[in-house]
Amino acid sequence: MSRRAISLAVVAALLIALPLFVGNYALSVATLILYFAYTGQAWNVMMGFAGQLSLGHALYVGVGAYAAGALFYHLGIGPWAGLWLAMALCVALGLSIGFLAFRFSISGVYFALLTIAFAEFTRIGFDHLNFTGGPGGMFLRVAQRDTWDLLNFRGPPLMYYYAVLALTAGAFALCAKLLKSKAGYYWQAIRENEEAARALGINSFRWKMLAVAISSAMTAISGVFFAFYYNNLFPEQIFNISRSIEIILGPVIGGVGTLFGPILGAAVLTLLSETITESLAAFGLDIPGVKQVFYGVVLLAVVMFLPHGIWPALAKRLKL
Amino acid sequence: MSALLQVRSISKSFRGLRAVREASFEVPEGDINGLIGPNGAGKTTIFNVIAGVYAPDSGSIVFNGIEIQGLRPDQICAAGIGRTFQIVKPFAGLTVLDNVMVGAFLHTRAAADARRLAAEIVERLGLGPKRDLPASSLTLPDRKRLEVARALATRPKLLLLDEVMAGLRPTECDQMVEIFRDLNRKYGTTILLIEHVMRAVMALAKHIGVLHHGEVIARGTPEQVVRDAAVLECYLGEEAEV
Repeated sequence: MSRRAISLAVVAALLIALPLFVGNYALSVATLILYFAYTGQAWNVMMGFAGQLSLGHALYVGVGAYAAGALFYHLGIGPWAGLWLAMALCVALGLSIGFLAFRFSISGVYFALLTIAFAEFTRIGFDHLNFTGGPGGMFLRVAQRDTWDLLNFRGPPLMYYYAVLALTAGAFALCAKLLKSKAGYYWQAIRENEEAARALGINSFRWKMLAVAISSAMTAISGVFFAFYYNNLFPEQIFNISRSIEIILGPVIGGVGTLFGPILGAAVLTLLSETITESLAAFGLDIPGVKQVFYGVVLLAVVMFLPHGIWPALAKRLKL
Repeated sequence: MSALLQVRSISKSFRGLRAVREASFEVPEGDINGLIGPNGAGKTTIFNVIAGVYAPDSGSIVFNGIEIQGLRPDQICAAGIGRTFQIVKPFAGLTVLDNVMVGAFLHTRAAADARRLAAEIVERLGLGPKRDLPASSLTLPDRKRLEVARALATRPKLLLLDEVMAGLRPTECDQMVEIFRDLNRKYGTTILLIEHVMRAVMALAKHIGVLHHGEVIARGTPEQVVRDAAVLECYLGEEAEV
């Protein structure tokens, strides 16, 4: 086995055994890290692989969350069915945005603006949608936190930890496979130089649409997880642009376009920001916005000193 | 037998400028042909019309028996025309082999097959020792070879080379000439060269077309073209670098 495979196995084993060693607080931090790792991985398919910058991924988290949440809230239909509705809606939305952008050759910054615009429209739309509680939010029933009700995805924190761990592992495996496939090569070609890619027989419209479809479907699952983990959904929060930025910070800091980047970035950011908040709290300080300032500083440092992200530099150092 | 590529009275204007006027020529299967002309003669425009970057305003292009004018670049490539870019466009972040693999995926879904074909072409163009380097680390002559390798990986019937010699030193240029001769002789690849560098065209091309102000003003063997009065006047008289 290669050094890489061994390290991967060790990390996987540690993550599986983690709940044996840590308490509920640490478990909730680990759950948060994996949530961002998974969502970052989903975003990375579009930006890191295919080079299409989305600054509105909160759209898919929100729509996914509301779709599965509303089915459960109104009809008592569990997330395993809701998942499909969430994915179908998000893929339809993603493909609509993709069609508008790619058909009319909107790319780069303008594409990013389009993704923000759609997330904002949707936020305002949900503010006026009584079916999902409007701006007052939607609250899912919380009951029997100590038993594992897998069918309705209700249970103790441990269940959510393992669920998001499975998601992260699945997304990692999927992305590793995609990257080595024809799709992965075609996406990277489009990312590096679209004109040259087209001259090699690549129908760039079709392949970009595929990247959007996969990324939005994956992010829809983040939304379903979010809905059943947090149990309350507010349009102002879930569709907020700062949520979209939060999603992309992990991969940007870890390494855009790499497989380990989103996971490493999410871990570094979440651990450091939790440490900062906790240590400030220990001194009796509660400064609002300190997390955002901290994100800014880390982002600045990474862009200045490690423009390709932490992972490529670390991988070189560790000879992975 | 009709020619592999037939360009029939193609015209293309940009706003007021008529870049190509009623240009016609053909490239027979198995030949190496050249298209020359001074700067601004419309060489690259004709090239881009054939490659699908622009649709012509009028005229038709028949390749391998089907009309291809107005198709998208990826459809033109799938029809069997490979191209290089005058200003090289490597996939800078990918390795040399991965660059070529992108081209090789046109005819297969399997990464192993694409890798095998790409490795063979990389060897053929003398890039073997550099196959695992990122394309961004290559020198200009190697980048030009990579352009050719990538296009060849799509297994084209016709290879369009856009100023592939430009910027090369004479010895590097001669090496490229050898590579194309080899490709043509061993693999039967038909080649259309668009060139500024006369040295390469004279050495390679069986037939040459001369463009001036968007019109084909002369066609013939290199010897005939060099002696053509109109050609001498418009082009060779002032700028020849034979």
